[in-house]
Amino acid sequence: MDGPPALAPAAVARSVRIRYPGATAWTPDEVEVEVAPGEVLLILGPSGCGKSTFALSFNGLVPHAVPAEFAGTMTVGGVSTREASVAELSERVAMVFQDPEAQLVTRTVLDEVCFGPENRLVPAAEVEARAEAALRAVGLWDRRDENPDILSGGGKQRLAIACALALGSPLLVLDEPTSNLDPAGAEEVYRLLGELTAPGSTRSVVLVEHDLDLALAIVDTVLVLDGAGRPFASGPVREVLRARAEDLEALGVWLPTPTTAALRMRRAGIPLDPLPLTVEELAAALADLDVDSAAEEPSVTEEPSGTGSDPDAEALPALPAVSVTGLTVKRGGRRILSEISLRVPRGDFLAVVGPNGAGKSTLVQSLAGVLRVPRGTVGVLGIDPARASASALRKTIGFVFQNPEHQFVAHTVEDELALGLRQRRLPEAEVSARVDGMLTLLDLHAHRTSHPFLLSGGQKRRLSVGTALIEGAPVLVLDEPTFGQDRARAADLLELLAALNASGTTVIVVTHDLGLIGQYARHVAILDEGRVVALDETARILSDRALLEAHALRQPPLVRALAGPSIPAELRGLTRLADLPGLR
Amino acid sequence: MTAPALRLVAPAPSFLRRLNPLAKVAAVVPAWIALLVTREATAPLLLLLLAVLLLLAGGRLHGRALVLLLIGVPIGILVVSVGSALWVDPGGASGTAVVVSAGPLRLTAGALLIGLTTALRLAALLTLGLIGGLTTSGPELARALTAQLRIPYRFAYAAVAAYRFVPRAAAELTLIRQALRIRGVAPGRGPIAAVRRLLSGVVPLLASSIRHADRVALAMESRAFGAHPRRTERVPPRWRTADTVFTVAGWAATAAVLVLVLRSP
Repeated sequence: MDGPPALAPAAVARSVRIRYPGATAWTPDEVEVEVAPGEVLLILGPSGCGKSTFALSFNGLVPHAVPAEFAGTMTVGGVSTREASVAELSERVAMVFQDPEAQLVTRTVLDEVCFGPENRLVPAAEVEARAEAALRAVGLWDRRDENPDILSGGGKQRLAIACALALGSPLLVLDEPTSNLDPAGAEEVYRLLGELTAPGSTRSVVLVEHDLDLALAIVDTVLVLDGAGRPFASGPVREVLRARAEDLEALGVWLPTPTTAALRMRRAGIPLDPLPLTVEELAAALADLDVDSAAEEPSVTEEPSGTGSDPDAEALPALPAVSVTGLTVKRGGRRILSEISLRVPRGDFLAVVGPNGAGKSTLVQSLAGVLRVPRGTVGVLGIDPARASASALRKTIGFVFQNPEHQFVAHTVEDELALGLRQRRLPEAEVSARVDGMLTLLDLHAHRTSHPFLLSGGQKRRLSVGTALIEGAPVLVLDEPTFGQDRARAADLLELLAALNASGTTVIVVTHDLGLIGQYARHVAILDEGRVVALDETARILSDRALLEAHALRQPPLVRALAGPSIPAELRGLTRLADLPGLR
Repeated sequence: MTAPALRLVAPAPSFLRRLNPLAKVAAVVPAWIALLVTREATAPLLLLLLAVLLLLAGGRLHGRALVLLLIGVPIGILVVSVGSALWVDPGGASGTAVVVSAGPLRLTAGALLIGLTTALRLAALLTLGLIGGLTTSGPELARALTAQLRIPYRFAYAAVAAYRFVPRAAAELTLIRQALRIRGVAPGRGPIAAVRRLLSGVVPLLASSIRHADRVALAMESRAFGAHPRRTERVPPRWRTADTVFTVAGWAATAAVLVLVLRSP
């Protein structure tokens, strides 16, 4: 009580509620929070709870630039956001957004960092001093004369952070800064944020993020909003996650993978207390465990479906779903794919992974007939996709583009699904029966007359999968289906894919998200520089840390936690949550 | 720590690049006006040659720019000459020798001369524009416009930001058209199907462009864009003696060409 006077908080929100025009509910609703100097606050909540909208209110974008109703007060550095303009607030709060491409304005890295201070009329000499300090802090000073376009995704986000630092504001707000990045890029960004918020720093950070495996290391406190945008829990992050883990899981908030795994094992009667939050904690907790007695019962739980070694795999017909022979694709004199040969058996679930620019999208586009490739290099169930008619192609292989909006053409969800069937002139009764069935499968019945562009992100993704499936294609190919989506939505989609796969559909997915897709895929192919460098059962690929890291990939947290020699033999080397004891 | 990037030391900018972007426009304005009113071939030819020589000597061009200038422009002249020679009213050039005759098509020397003049005028207009166009970047022009012409920087810089949209929209449209093709929208090949696919792609392209523009606007506003009527320029573009000399030299060269042409019989 008698300590030195506390520094004024960096930001204070009192009863903040925000409502978009046309919406009836306030999301967020009545949020209270204080961010102390040097504090790193994480905001969590299920999709649609308004956490990103709340983040936009810290620098006054809500209500000044985004047309939304704003109630309550938000004070940053002692100034009410209602009274000050966004430009004035830029001295106190700097923002970093999700899409690195949408934050670039100028033609060189140096000009980009100078852009903010120049707008603020900072004298030229000081602009340059600030820019140099900011670029050195993020490790981009040596690249100051380059065009920001040629930086990697992680590099662009580090540049966006440098731009925020150069504004000199003590509070940094980041809205899902890594969800558009590959694993190496995300790691890069969090390493930097860790340096910037090292103990002793007075820089405050507000972070919206759902990948807690990376973020947890830098976070001090957490604010959780529920589905309606109301405050659900808040406090020191480790205490809240430990005390409320089951509530948060029920709410649809994504927990750190080791915590999810531990909750599972607890339910199976394996006592893990305190609840582990990191890979190291889970590994340590399991090492201390006398698992033999506790795990006896769960070890006889039902056999997980879809492992590589399941017995009916041998019973599959010999004709592969997809065969690629000596496929080379060149573009602009550059080899995108070199001599690729690949067989995907029927009923497989294959994940194609690799660093940015490895040729993953080109490969799957060649399979689906999007790109025209040389005759005889690609076969899908006996047809040549580059030469088949559009309707024959759609009956054989469905392709889902990264951005679902790219493939929408009709004005209602129903018509979107019916499009291909009507082109084939099927009787209207059959068309509506099939559309009905698909709406049920996709859980889109309530939206059947909505315009596809007005659906939520997760619904759009499901609809795009539906358009690819409705003609009964036995092979489904998806390009980065989880890109830019939150983890809960991504998991929903994968559950849908797993169900389709279980009923016989061959699924091929391009992805960066090994942690999630590794839970479902039967095989993994690693592509690098246009070549298949590895193709094996998922568990074998995931347990080969050196192989993954050599190709800009990372071992998922669960795999790392269960890899050590001190882990009980029953659990050692497992790679999937579904394989852990506790399956019900 | 990032390893130092592999990067060549940037050479000193060429003569034309060092000039103020506005000087490169001001110097050619009288020549543009002359090209709009002239009706003969010599003046456009001389102005075209001067512009090409200036670009080769002072522009230090590479790659595509060089190909455009040395191959694209001559091919363009040839195509436009013959094309417009076929197009012009043969009556206006009657009484001249027939050069080529194929069925109903007759190409007379007079018509060819008219075609050639048109082509040279267009080529000279374009190439004079390239003096500035190939040696100026968007941001440089924006800075000069705000510094010398007092154009509000908000407009100039918004244009610079919009410039980034073009390659993005092109890549996006390619993806959309691929998606529509495999969904069987406007199937088939040929120009009509291609146009129909293009039209179907407009809605998705607009939706994504508007969203992107929104994001860019929020990011720029968060970085104090538009906070004040002016902004700091680290290297304010100056109007130097060289810019005045270049502008006056451009005018003098245009005048000399016109005098030469008008005096010759």
